[in-house]
Formats: sequence, C-alpha cells, structure tokens
Amino acid sequence: MNPRLTSQSFLGETSDRILARLRVAVVGLGGGGSHVAQQLAHLGVGHFVLFDPDYVEASNLNRLVGATASDGDAKTKKTTVAERLIHGINPDADVMLVTHPWQEAGVHLRDCDVVFGCVDSYSAREELERVCRRFLIPYIDHGMDVTKVIDRFVVSGQVILSSPGELCMRCLGFLTEDLLAQEAAEYGAAGPRPQVVWPNGLLASAAVGMFVQLLTPCHRDHRMVEYLEYDGNAQTLNTSNRLAAVRGKECPHFPTPLDLGDPFWPKPEPPQRCTK
Amino acid sequence: MRVVFKIMSVLVEHVRADLARPHPVAAERVGFFSCKVARLADGGLLVLVQGYHPVDDADYLDDPRVGAMINSDAIRKALQYAYSHSVAMFHIHAHEHRGRPWFSNTDLAESAAFVPDFWNVQPQFPHGAVLLSRDSMAGLCWAPESRKPIRIGDFVSVGAPMILVRESET
Repeated sequence: MNPRLTSQSFLGETSDRILARLRVAVVGLGGGGSHVAQQLAHLGVGHFVLFDPDYVEASNLNRLVGATASDGDAKTKKTTVAERLIHGINPDADVMLVTHPWQEAGVHLRDCDVVFGCVDSYSAREELERVCRRFLIPYIDHGMDVTKVIDRFVVSGQVILSSPGELCMRCLGFLTEDLLAQEAAEYGAAGPRPQVVWPNGLLASAAVGMFVQLLTPCHRDHRMVEYLEYDGNAQTLNTSNRLAAVRGKECPHFPTPLDLGDPFWPKPEPPQRCTK
Repeated sequence: MRVVFKIMSVLVEHVRADLARPHPVAAERVGFFSCKVARLADGGLLVLVQGYHPVDDADYLDDPRVGAMINSDAIRKALQYAYSHSVAMFHIHAHEHRGRPWFSNTDLAESAAFVPDFWNVQPQFPHGAVLLSRDSMAGLCWAPESRKPIRIGDFVSVGAPMILVRESET
C-alpha cells in the first residue's frame, strides 16, 4: 500500500490501486468543487479532469479552498488553483484543465469514471446528468442555496448520486419542469448567490463519501442512488423522504434500452477545447 | 488506438448467469452485445453496451470438437439486429476461471472469420469479441479505420462497486 495512504487501509486492500486508476471529473471549481478536488487528492485519486472557465475574485475568498488573496489580485484561473492544491498533496496526479464552459469540451467527460457536478444552475445539472447517462458515468451532484423567507435566511442543500439505469434527479423530485422554467425566466436577473464555506465543505464531504462507497471494497452496502437533504438551519443531513418513496421504481426519464454514445456517429464532431 | 469498453454491472452478472446455463448439445453458450460508440478526446474509441442477445438454443450445432458451434441462423440474426438497430456487435462467451482471460487459438480464428462480416451491414461501426472470466474480462475490437483487431485496453463495469480493468496495469 502507498505509505501516504496507510491510514485509510480499512477501505480495502486494493483501494489505493483502484483510486489511483480512476479518472474523475470535477465540473465547477468554486466553493463546492474546490473542496471535492482537495479531498479526492487526499484520497489518492490518480487522474483528474477539472472544468471551470472562471478566475478567482476577491468575493470568492470566503469559501474557495486553496485560493489566496494574491490569486484574487492576479485573476488566477480556478482550475489553476485546484491543480496547485492537488499537486501539493499528490505530485504524481495527472491533472487536465479545461478552462472553457464544459459544454464546449464535453468530449473530455466521456472516459471519466465518475463526474462531480458542482455547478450553480438546475439546467447545468440536468445537462450534466444527461451526458453522464449517455456515457454510462455515475454522477454525483451537490450544492447549497440560501433563500430569504419572510425575515430570515434558510440554508439548504443536497447531495445526489445518480447512476445509469437508476432513478434520476427528476425521479427524485430535485429537478422539475417548474424549477427549470423559473430559472430560465430569471436568467440574467439574479445577483450574486449567497455562498458560505461550511455548508460547501459539509456537502462536498458527503459527496466524496458517496464516491468512496461506490468505488472501494470496504463497503458492503453499495448503493447506486442516494439523495441527502441538508437543512443548514437545523444543522442536519438526512436521506430524503422522496428517495424512500420512489426507491425500487424504474426511471421513466431514461428508459431502457439506454440512449448511449455519440448520436451523430460516425460524422466528425466539432472541435473540442482544452488547455492542458 | 485506445479502446474503452463500458457495461453495466447488472448486465455483466445477467450474462454470466445466462452463459452458464447448460445446453443439450453445446458445452458452452455464446451471445452478442449490441453497442453504441463514441470517439474519445485522444482519438480512441468508447464502446458502450446497450443490450445482450443470447444465441437461441436451436442455433447451436452438435460439434464435440469445440465448446460451442453456432449455425448460420445465429449469425444472420445478429447481422439483422445490427442492421435494424444501427449498432456495433460484439460476440461474447465466458471461460470458467478467475483472473484475466484470453482467447484460445480457435476463438481467435473464428472471430477473425466472422466479426468483419458485420461491416457488410454496419460498415461505420467497430465490431468485436469479448471474453468473460468469473471476475474479469478481455476483448478485441475491429475498428473501421484500422480493419485489424485491437486489444481492448480498458473495461469499466458500472455498478456498485465499480470494477475497472486497465490493460496497462495488469
């Protein structure tokens, strides 16, 4: 076993080899994704594909793990911050940076083993889940929100594991037509969304926990679909009642036989972009 | 060229159980995977298994020289499926041992003879042959651009737990 990973040997005799082989995508390297990237590097994941077109701003420093004040001044790319963080922990990690919107470089998702969605919008989550289903990739989504209800703020969030052939985020009631329509109607009107470090960290940790149970031999109760709901005011993280209500049912949104692969095969695809 | 082969774990288990069923005249069973494909960023090929099609009981020939000999109807049905559904087809059978399997000389000769026939109905798709053991898998892929078999380097069985077989690390 890798000496750096001996403290996690309970994950299974072969866990370090499994983790070192994995190619994991993190889409969005902000408050949530930066935590995920850091934890995956500590775990010993060997191959990363990091997607984020944005650079660090001073307003990110309340939550962006690994970013410094000088990154804000220099407008350092968030992917560069994450790469620096990962290589500081594991210099041997293979890290690919994609600094364009992931939709313009989706080909780099195709041979990832797991995708973490750390994006802000419902529509981006839906798109990512669709891509992951098409290429048989487990998708782990997490995010938080702060909304004002009358005279107080409600802090909430979710962590969802959506796997091919299993219930999807629509089945779980997390994505709905109303939410997507409302988001589309408000496009461009929303100001900066409130984000804080501790729910980001808590939800990212739960997301990485789902990843570990999916991949390592120590877990006997492997699950392909999970839905945790975070109540930041009560400080609780619980399995959603919605999951219990629909568990075992078939997903009508991604019916079998699954719609897989490149739908335009064998026509050449438009050029895809990446920086490294 | 790198070839990655992905399949759902539940389907792998279903296929293992199906191939293990006894047959009146054949010593082993065979079938076909129907697959969709995509290009990888490095120019490699991603093969995604969509379905499993066992060879019908009546389509085995009584030939004690080999584990399973199938008749022309079995091949015709597989060709018909590939044509009707615009899919790549991969022949599948199993060897009863643990560890990374590999094809016998007979397997290799037979595959080289019939796999390229699938280009008669789906010339734009790769086709091939996959071999299961009790806990691993191996395979060959005939890609349209190379016309020669390429060893499938990566297998991913998508389930819980995920199982990855990387050629470069075994």
